[in-house]
Amino acid sequence: METLLNVLVVGILLGGIYGLVSIGLNLIFGVIRIVNFAQGELVMLGMYGAFLGFSLLKLDPYVSLLIVVPAMFVVGVIIQRVVIQPLQAESSMQIFATFGLLTVLQNLVLVFTRGEGYSVNTAVASLGVSVGEIRITATRLIIFIAVTLIAILLHLFLQKTLLGKSIRAVTQDRQSARLMGINVERTFMITFGIGSALAGLAGVLIAPIYTLSPGIGGNFILAAFAVVVLGGLGSVAGAWAGGMIVGIVEAFAGYYINPELKQAVWFLIFLAVLIVKPSGLFGQVGAEEIGFREQS
Amino acid sequence: MSSIHSTARVWSLFALGLLLALLPLALLAGNLFWVNILIYTYLFAGLAVAWNIIGGFGGQFSLGHGVFFAAGAYMTAQLYLRWGISPWLGLIAPALLCAVVGALIFWPTFRLKGSFFAIATLAFNEVGLVMANYLEGITGGPRGLQIPFRAALANMIFADQRIWALLMFAFMALCLAVAIMLMRSRLGYYLLAVREDEEAAHAAGIDVTRVKLLGTALSAALASVGGSLFAMYVRTIDPPTVFSLADIGVKFALLALIGGIGTITGPVLGAFLIIPAESYLRASLGGGLPGMHLVVLGLVMLLAALFMRKGIAGAIEAAWRRWRRPAVRSPQPGATTPASEAGRA
Repeated sequence: METLLNVLVVGILLGGIYGLVSIGLNLIFGVIRIVNFAQGELVMLGMYGAFLGFSLLKLDPYVSLLIVVPAMFVVGVIIQRVVIQPLQAESSMQIFATFGLLTVLQNLVLVFTRGEGYSVNTAVASLGVSVGEIRITATRLIIFIAVTLIAILLHLFLQKTLLGKSIRAVTQDRQSARLMGINVERTFMITFGIGSALAGLAGVLIAPIYTLSPGIGGNFILAAFAVVVLGGLGSVAGAWAGGMIVGIVEAFAGYYINPELKQAVWFLIFLAVLIVKPSGLFGQVGAEEIGFREQS
Repeated sequence: MSSIHSTARVWSLFALGLLLALLPLALLAGNLFWVNILIYTYLFAGLAVAWNIIGGFGGQFSLGHGVFFAAGAYMTAQLYLRWGISPWLGLIAPALLCAVVGALIFWPTFRLKGSFFAIATLAFNEVGLVMANYLEGITGGPRGLQIPFRAALANMIFADQRIWALLMFAFMALCLAVAIMLMRSRLGYYLLAVREDEEAAHAAGIDVTRVKLLGTALSAALASVGGSLFAMYVRTIDPPTVFSLADIGVKFALLALIGGIGTITGPVLGAFLIIPAESYLRASLGGGLPGMHLVVLGLVMLLAALFMRKGIAGAIEAAWRRWRRPAVRSPQPGATTPASEAGRA
């Protein structure tokens, strides 16, 4: 029983990490349907941002959020303007272009760091709570709280605010949205910027847990797509749940089946869901078609 | 486009193109550095043509072809290592297996469209990677397989690199010939119809799923042969190499896209541009600053995606049209453009 609970806690905390690295993609792919293969690299940039703040300005990673998140918003806006906007209607070209972007970002960091692995320290690294045998470190707990909080805020933002409504409107029907007076280009730009800022936030929060390497984004990207699709496209609560599912499945498969196969198990679940219900567990049926129809 | 041409003309163009592709080998045969680059260029040209059958003509943007490549590599190597089966025979079994099993595992994903299909097939590649690491008995696990150097024709191991270059060239020629024959066949037209509009194709009486299955089977079998040749050439295979996205699985698609997706010559042009450029950049920049050559390559990919939507083949065709235009005399300029274009096609 103790073990079972322990594995469950490990899974939930891992789910928090998966949910957090996916939440930006949930906006970029889940809502505005941009196939951004460079999303993992945006998380990676966030991690290196935390490292820069830590090593140059002696900032605690949680303080450097104040700089990294706005900076990543700007990065996202630039990427959207230069790379995504011209390819708005062509999803296979987006795959191609964002893969090029991934290669550039990853190797630029490699050039600058010369392949050296870095780590980031925080004041709370040694803190944690223990419940019986189960120990929860503060860094992972913060991630879990953050992803839950962000999911709630993002949901409210998309449902209640004017900007959130216009984001959903341009996804569903660009033409009508334009007729309603929505600035379509600006909406896409801001959405991509927010998605990028969220990736940067995820990067900063997970920086104390992982050793930084230029290729680390590759560990997150398929997981992020799996989380977004599993949960249901455009459903923020779904993406949160999707993260939990992936984390818990990985923890249980790793403990009870084989640590080497833990990822294969959730890949297969992801494939099964994708094939049986492409709109995801909590998505509206047909959601996968929206935004991919031909639009001018 | 090419399908309108007469049989004789298409095949003489094919022969001419092959001679052109052989030219760099004839010129550089003495230079081992370039022969090695040409070996990879021919191999990846063939693989990109194979991918293009279902990815370009069929419009199914697969990022999972690395699985077929890896299956060919592992099976041919193991058949040779364990039972001493000559790789010449040993490349047939995985090709057939990939055609059948590959089509079957892709089957359920055919209902997915566009980027969802791409992501699902990408997941196949990642499952393959995990399994290759896990199934040590079959794949040698993370350590991989090593094939001892015993040069012999029957072993498909050659001391002379130029023989390898010719073999890879033959593979490329085979893939091209298959693609040309396919595009002149009924199945080829069906593939195009499915790509352009699935519902319309279905309404016109085309069995969409069957067409996709056949296209995948053909494409997978050729990709598997490429994997077999790769295994015997490098003689050491491990999971991170054969399941690499940047170097294998996604690369086939990228070469085809840069060259011109859904054209016969495009994938070959893409490979002839990118593979030598990549190898050259790696040799000249990679030593000083690791990763620099990939920064350049990534930028090339980005620029190609942004400014050459139809790839090199598309750009050449557009330039050709511009060049030919003044030669066509028309009494009413402007009004006759579509007609004169049709006449030239």
